Amino acid sequence: MKKFKELPIGKKLLYLSLATRISVLLLISFFAAMNIFLNYKSGYNSARLVSLSSGPLAGGLYWMMDGFLSLFGNSATILQSSGGMTWSIRIFGFPFTDPVAAMSFFIKNRSFETGFFLGLAVPVTLAAVFGRVFCSYICPASLLFFFTSRIRRLIEPYFFLPRISLSSGFAWGMLFGGLLTAYFFGHGIWTLILPYFAMGQVIFHGIAFGTISAVMLSIIFYALLDLFLGQQFTCRYVCPTGRLLGFIGKRAFVSVRRDPASCLPKCNSCAEVCPMGVSPRMDETVNCTLCGECMVICPGNCLKPGQRDTTKNISDRILKELITFKQKTQNTLKETAEEK
Amino acid sequence: MKRKTFIHTILGGAAAPLFFPFLGYLLPQTNKRYLRPPGAKKENEFINACIGCGSCASVCPNKCIELYGLEGGISNIATPKINARAKGCILCMACTNACPTGALKKIESTKKGKASVRMGKAYIATDICYSYAGRTCGVCYRACPLPGLALSVDLYEVPKVNLKHCVGCGLCENACIHMPQAIRIIPDAELEMRNAG
Repeated sequence: MKKFKELPIGKKLLYLSLATRISVLLLISFFAAMNIFLNYKSGYNSARLVSLSSGPLAGGLYWMMDGFLSLFGNSATILQSSGGMTWSIRIFGFPFTDPVAAMSFFIKNRSFETGFFLGLAVPVTLAAVFGRVFCSYICPASLLFFFTSRIRRLIEPYFFLPRISLSSGFAWGMLFGGLLTAYFFGHGIWTLILPYFAMGQVIFHGIAFGTISAVMLSIIFYALLDLFLGQQFTCRYVCPTGRLLGFIGKRAFVSVRRDPASCLPKCNSCAEVCPMGVSPRMDETVNCTLCGECMVICPGNCLKPGQRDTTKNISDRILKELITFKQKTQNTLKETAEEK
Repeated sequence: MKRKTFIHTILGGAAAPLFFPFLGYLLPQTNKRYLRPPGAKKENEFINACIGCGSCASVCPNKCIELYGLEGGISNIATPKINARAKGCILCMACTNACPTGALKKIESTKKGKASVRMGKAYIATDICYSYAGRTCGVCYRACPLPGLALSVDLYEVPKVNLKHCVGCGLCENACIHMPQAIRIIPDAELEMRNAG
């Protein structure tokens, strides 16, 4: 087992993204299970009584939680300052709000709720600086789709699986259609449109009430789309949040950066592996989620996260490409001359 | 990408979510109305403001706040409900402080604040209540957070609801020893509908 520091940057990002997504999943599960602890706290307020009523495991967990949290104050009030799920979450009183939730709320009420809209600050800044990092570092549904895309890669040689590509307009349409439907039928419609919201609901129902939510059907539907229509189909073409964050992060400061000098000609592996359908080979950075898949696969080791390439003009890019090509040919000519 | 196909995909994407509300008609639904958490706005305003983040349910120390699945119709998905027969609200007001969107108005956890809550009203089925049949019970009176104000008792501990003071927390319905319950909370939303016609 290699040490984490010695790993190439792409693998580091890949492992980091998996770790953060799993920890977000655990955080949501913890928030769903929080009222169990609060119930014991308000009901018994004693680890011994909890272990007598619900067994030593519950008693031990209660003892650890209460002991740890009471270092900082009243454990119930500390826990009650956090809560929610990916849709709108509060961590120690600090709110984080989904931009789509804020849009839906604003359209329906035409009023501002200070705390709720303050929660937009961090996600929007994050998207503006790093691009769509929400999709590969926070979204718990993309963790599921990560595994479905791996399964798809495994079974692809044996079955015919189509690769359908849509334009980005479909997700924009989903956003406007969703807002329209939410305006007439209530915000609940987003559970069926956004897989991560549905996932939060399913986790909440499963842990807090011990029931399976029917919203599970929408997650299964999106996972099947992923499996049969294309790698990460939902994230690419359906998810309105991803589209919106991609739009905000169009001019992201940090993105995948190509070193043209070591880029191999005729190699297209980065574009083939990219779950978002981006081609880093062509210096495309819109929609890049910094997941690190291309950096792992790149044989020339030329892709790294870095400051976004700001040469916008295609002619500039072609000129750059030509200059590097000229240098490469000159180098090879020199080498052959030396060999002679 | 041709401009025409781009516009077509936008229209296709916009049309897709419009089919979801019809799911609500396909799936079985209950007409039973449940209580909303304390401090909730009027029903239609509440539906507009609640985005279904589940903060209220995760901070509830009594585990009485549940979230709707698909059974309550499309507009109710992920919104909170309280099934008073299973568990009543203990009026701790943690949920009103947790709500990010103001769907639940903030209420202070004082005696005055608790008395200002309006979740519903209690109604007694006098034909099945034990105390009305001359067998002293008084369980609902003991459970009431505002005894003497919202629920007063008479001879044989016969309960009487004072609708002016009843907050509709559901603790009496939760505690009632008769099966089915002899005291019931009618949610504010249903009362509004009845008053409207």
